[in-house]
Amino acid sequence: MKNKLLYIEDDKEIGTWVREDLTGRGYHVIWLTSGDGVLDRMEGIDLVILDIMLPGLDGFSIGQRLKKEYPETPILMLSARTSIDDKLQGLQFADDYVTKPFHPDELAARVEVLLRRFGKISLPIIQLSHLNIYINQNRIVDTGSNNEIILTAKQFQIFTYFLRHPNQILTKEQIYEAVWGNPFMEGDKTLMVHIRHLREKIEENPSQPKIIETIRGIGYRVKQ
Amino acid sequence: MRFRHSLLARYLLIIMVALILWPFVLPAYLIPSYLLDKDLQQKTQYIDTNLLKEMWHHEAAKLDGATPEQVEQKLYTLKEKYPHASMFWVDGSGETKLVLSEQNNNPDQWTIENNIEFINQRDEVPLTFLSYIGGDQSNGYIAFQIPLSFTKPPTFSIIDDKFLAIYTFFVFGLFLFVSWLFFFKIRKRLVHLQTAMTDTKENGIPEKIAVNKKDEISELGQAFNHMIDELIKSRQHEQEEEELRKQLIANISHDLRTPLTAIRGHAYSLQKEPLSPKGKESLHLIENKVDLLSHLLENLLSYTLLSAGKYTLQRKESEMIRFIRESMAGWYPVFEKEGFKVDVDLAEKTLIWNIDPHWFMRIVDNLLQNVIRHAKSGQYIGVRIVDYEGKTAILIEDRGPGLEVTTDKKGAGIGLSIVSLMIQEMQLGWKITSSTNGTQIYLYENNKGKTPN
Repeated sequence: MKNKLLYIEDDKEIGTWVREDLTGRGYHVIWLTSGDGVLDRMEGIDLVILDIMLPGLDGFSIGQRLKKEYPETPILMLSARTSIDDKLQGLQFADDYVTKPFHPDELAARVEVLLRRFGKISLPIIQLSHLNIYINQNRIVDTGSNNEIILTAKQFQIFTYFLRHPNQILTKEQIYEAVWGNPFMEGDKTLMVHIRHLREKIEENPSQPKIIETIRGIGYRVKQ
Repeated sequence: MRFRHSLLARYLLIIMVALILWPFVLPAYLIPSYLLDKDLQQKTQYIDTNLLKEMWHHEAAKLDGATPEQVEQKLYTLKEKYPHASMFWVDGSGETKLVLSEQNNNPDQWTIENNIEFINQRDEVPLTFLSYIGGDQSNGYIAFQIPLSFTKPPTFSIIDDKFLAIYTFFVFGLFLFVSWLFFFKIRKRLVHLQTAMTDTKENGIPEKIAVNKKDEISELGQAFNHMIDELIKSRQHEQEEEELRKQLIANISHDLRTPLTAIRGHAYSLQKEPLSPKGKESLHLIENKVDLLSHLLENLLSYTLLSAGKYTLQRKESEMIRFIRESMAGWYPVFEKEGFKVDVDLAEKTLIWNIDPHWFMRIVDNLLQNVIRHAKSGQYIGVRIVDYEGKTAILIEDRGPGLEVTTDKKGAGIGLSIVSLMIQEMQLGWKITSSTNGTQIYLYENNKGKTPN
């Protein structure tokens, strides 16, 4: 099923192009040229792409209203307003902020990340190297041996955190704080130990990991 | 301002009161002492010699035809009234009839010779009045003598009279005190005004002062309050202008970016069309230039806002290691795509700097952007925590062809100018060393202004 995106943009040229591009990438795009009646069009919308400079109500006001009514729908600001102040104001309610001129691939990637983070993409199976991951059933199967891999609760939390942020480099602090919910203390080895055990279970060769990549000095990444 | 409200009027009043009271100062002291001192009262009746002389002639005239007893009686009465005076009576034949004197050396019979002797034997010639009784020479005369010293008015000297000295000092002191009090109050109000002018509220403007008098200083206070009003007005005006300017800059940015986005869009669409290799190359160039223009625009606008002090700095204690690591996590894919070797070595320790995270993010972004744009040939980016001249520094290192200038930051483009401005504002320090083998940029915290704990 196609994800439905609501795109609010007053510039005809950019609007036409973005709609075409996103449609070409398999999304169902509803394009409005102003924020009028936006709340009536929210039925079944998975993500909102919002410009700031609009005739009538500006993007900030529209975004705040949408977030209040539909907190579970991600909002991506797409604007030519690039000042820090604008970004900060936008990010008070929006989930991402992309500045114009943007590369269509970047926009598409960010849309996908947001959809996944908010659980709007229901891919039944994620294929990672030799693993098949059945997200809905919390099952990981090794396609080589066809055995199910059983993870501990913490290992599973870490792994799903990676899957929710694909292709993104995650720092130790980010992972630790997302999974444990406590502030990370510099020098704490807990996470490293958990990752090592996780790799022992999911990697074919834990000394040369392919799934969970180490980015030296920065963190870890899971590519999809 | 009315004259009677002025400080000048008040000071003139003090001077006037002093001048008017001055003639009364000495009498105010002397009259009570005169009234209390009987001896002084006695002595004062000898001062006016004319009056004495008149009195004597008058008394002599009154004795016309009086019997010797009556004359004697009169003289005794007069002696009682003027005890310091000597009196004697010589009858018509020159015989001394009565002498009322402390020292009796009057000759019994007055002749020319003993008259001369009588005058000469005295050390001090007393003041003498002689009056014929009844105005007739044959009746004889009465004499009144008083030492000259008695006829001089008493002198007042603060050297001799301690109480007078104290009194004089007291009067002077009182005047000085009133004057001092007057100027002290003026001074106090001036100092108060000065304090009010110096102490500023958080908006940098002093508070208005309360004015409840009508003199010159109060007028100054009112003028000051008026100035404050004007300042607040102009500050408001300035803020409105600042807001307008920000708005204008944001709008310009927006208006330039919108067509850039369209260019980018069309270039992207063209990519899907069949193109010759040359056409593809041009397209690639267009895309690069769109990127470059967009960054330039960004930096130009930032620089304009920053140099005009329009970005507000919000410093807070930040964990630098974590900060740098998160920045690098964002930049890693870009370096990876460009084929860079990324060498991040951040010590596992806590490094807390007092910075504005958004500003610092901007600094790091600008420096890394420069590496990608200008040091691509080196294919290396290193971010490390190192020791630089005794300070813990963040080192950003590339192996590019190097900046043309090593110390002069002006030539290094608007991106570095922004970095320089922001570093200055946050009271951080930085140092660039550059050669044809690469560039090292050290960022460190200046110890200046940091409280040791």
